Amino acid sequence: MPLIKVVMAKMGFDAHYRGAMMVARHLVQRGMEVVYIGNRLPEEIVRTVIDEDAQVLGLSSLSGNHMVMVPRILRLLRQEGVDRVKVLLGGVIPTEDQKELLRQGVAAVFGTGSSLDAIADWIEAAVDHGSGPVQA
Amino acid sequence: MPTDASDALGSTSKDYRTTSGIPVKSVYSPDDIRDFEPLRDLGNPGEPPYTRGVHRDMYRGRLWTIRQLAGFGTPEETNGRFRLLLDQGATGINCVFDFVTNRGFSSDHPLAEGDVGQGGVAIDCLGDIVRLFDGIPIDDVSVSLVLSNPVGAGSIFATYLAMAQQRGIPWEKLRGTLQNDFLMETVVLTAPNILEPSFSFRLSVDVVEFCTQHLPQWNPISFAGYNYREAGADAVQEAALVIAHALAVADEMVRRGHPIDSFASRLSSFFTADNDLFEEVAKYRAARRVYYRLFQERFSPKDPRSSRLRFHVQTSGSALTAQQPLNNITRASYHALAAVLGGAQSLHVSAYDEALCLPSEAAALTALRTQQVLVHETGVTRTADPLAGSYYVEHLTDEMERRILAYLEEIDALGGLVRAVESGWVHRELMGTSYDREIAITSGEKKVVGVNCFTDDVPLQIELFQFPSALEQQRATLEELRLRRDQDAVDRALGRLREAVEGDENTMPHLIAAVQAGASIGECCDIFRALHGGWHQPLL
Repeated sequence: MPLIKVVMAKMGFDAHYRGAMMVARHLVQRGMEVVYIGNRLPEEIVRTVIDEDAQVLGLSSLSGNHMVMVPRILRLLRQEGVDRVKVLLGGVIPTEDQKELLRQGVAAVFGTGSSLDAIADWIEAAVDHGSGPVQA
Repeated sequence: MPTDASDALGSTSKDYRTTSGIPVKSVYSPDDIRDFEPLRDLGNPGEPPYTRGVHRDMYRGRLWTIRQLAGFGTPEETNGRFRLLLDQGATGINCVFDFVTNRGFSSDHPLAEGDVGQGGVAIDCLGDIVRLFDGIPIDDVSVSLVLSNPVGAGSIFATYLAMAQQRGIPWEKLRGTLQNDFLMETVVLTAPNILEPSFSFRLSVDVVEFCTQHLPQWNPISFAGYNYREAGADAVQEAALVIAHALAVADEMVRRGHPIDSFASRLSSFFTADNDLFEEVAKYRAARRVYYRLFQERFSPKDPRSSRLRFHVQTSGSALTAQQPLNNITRASYHALAAVLGGAQSLHVSAYDEALCLPSEAAALTALRTQQVLVHETGVTRTADPLAGSYYVEHLTDEMERRILAYLEEIDALGGLVRAVESGWVHRELMGTSYDREIAITSGEKKVVGVNCFTDDVPLQIELFQFPSALEQQRATLEELRLRRDQDAVDRALGRLREAVEGDENTMPHLIAAVQAGASIGECCDIFRALHGGWHQPLL
């Protein structure tokens, strides 16, 4: 089976990278390929997903910028015709915002305190079989 | 569900250890502190080696400063929160800035759209800082400006100094603290276009040097152990990195020709208070002792204050959970107790909703009340260093000291802290510790109440704090600034700043002149980035 490829990004100026790094490191441990691109604009993030031909996009937000940045990324992915990519969101995401972003097309939200294995398990299952929205 | 006490703090029944890995016995006796000499290792409170605290009668003489963080949205909104906290009994200001501001970018930068006013207040220019401190008696109350990154710390501090001048307050009267920590910029946090570590370090020392000459009551730098810990460090690494950083700044100031006693008493530190109560207390005590001994050994100061470690504590944010958020009030209370038993000079208690949103008014006030309960109800302020002489605590303090010294030797062997950062060693160290801890939580080996045990939902909702975006107002502020300023004067001032950077001059006087001429903070910091930016942070 080819490696699962995950692009991970921080959006805008959000400066907390520890969670994203922990997830990145764990996904690599679990046999996935991870491309971490740091702080980027939505356009750059979507461009990287396309160039890398990734199946999964992991976004991390702890600064409160998710409601501005995530919908824009989802829209760009649709415009570029790559909306089969599974978008995962992690960080500090209030429940109401989780619901709204899942409605708009985020595949799963993993808030602070989520288990690293749960994230990796979810990705393996979703990339193999497709999966419905998950709120964690 | 675990009911056995052996499940606590990541220990198994066979292997009890503190969070940073120090083995713990079931009981301690005089045998465990046989090498311990009270006179040499403790002294009296307020006397070398300061293990017992930096003041003779500690909190009887001077209570710690109750300094709750505040900062969100526009300068006006944050000004309102300052007033509320001061009205309710806070005794210091602790202002946090959004990431855009903290990194010295303008609010209308394309990357900034989702972050303006999030996680801190948005500041773009002198006018903003005037509104932020409107009506706040800055000649009377001490003001901590949580400007983490040297890239922006100098420029924003320059607006603060210009504002004080406008209000007719002499700089000598200003009391407060800047964070101004190059590890924040290069290791702890991430951002677009990061400065080279050696240049970020240079900017931080520019501020130290400037304050030494002009602001005798200001702490120009605060070594942010709290944040090293949030980025993954354990208690030993936290304390060791703080001390390594203090030594590096002192070395550089001496190299620039400043006698140790002219600046060392204004160096300050910032620690976390995390879950492992006794280890945290031992950390503060050991850190004071190591700091004293190394400053004496390396710099031979005459002024006893030069080798005294003074510090602010913020109770851990990363130990708080999104699940069952009211449990966080309990956690933060224990954290705050550790800080006070460890002799902190100043304290922020984290809000119970921190893992979910910016602190609401209710959460911010509960955190303030937690401090007031500690002061007025528990009796912990009655006597200095109440845990001194405990076999366990003295043993832990000794062990912590040994481990801190060993870690400092490693850093020295790498060529000092700046080199250790450039090589990626510090990043790897923190990531390694952090990942091990995450795996321990994921595997259930380390218990977190409400997260991997006792997870049944407590039927209680908390109200999340929401506020309008600050972006429109900041955009308008910048537009107006650009319209009404004398562009030639701004260009000239920025030109002189650029020359100072290129010519190894202290940047502070030029930053003050630039913001007074009407330059935005973003424009000043763009010069730093143009000349010394683009560093690749060695993260993966």
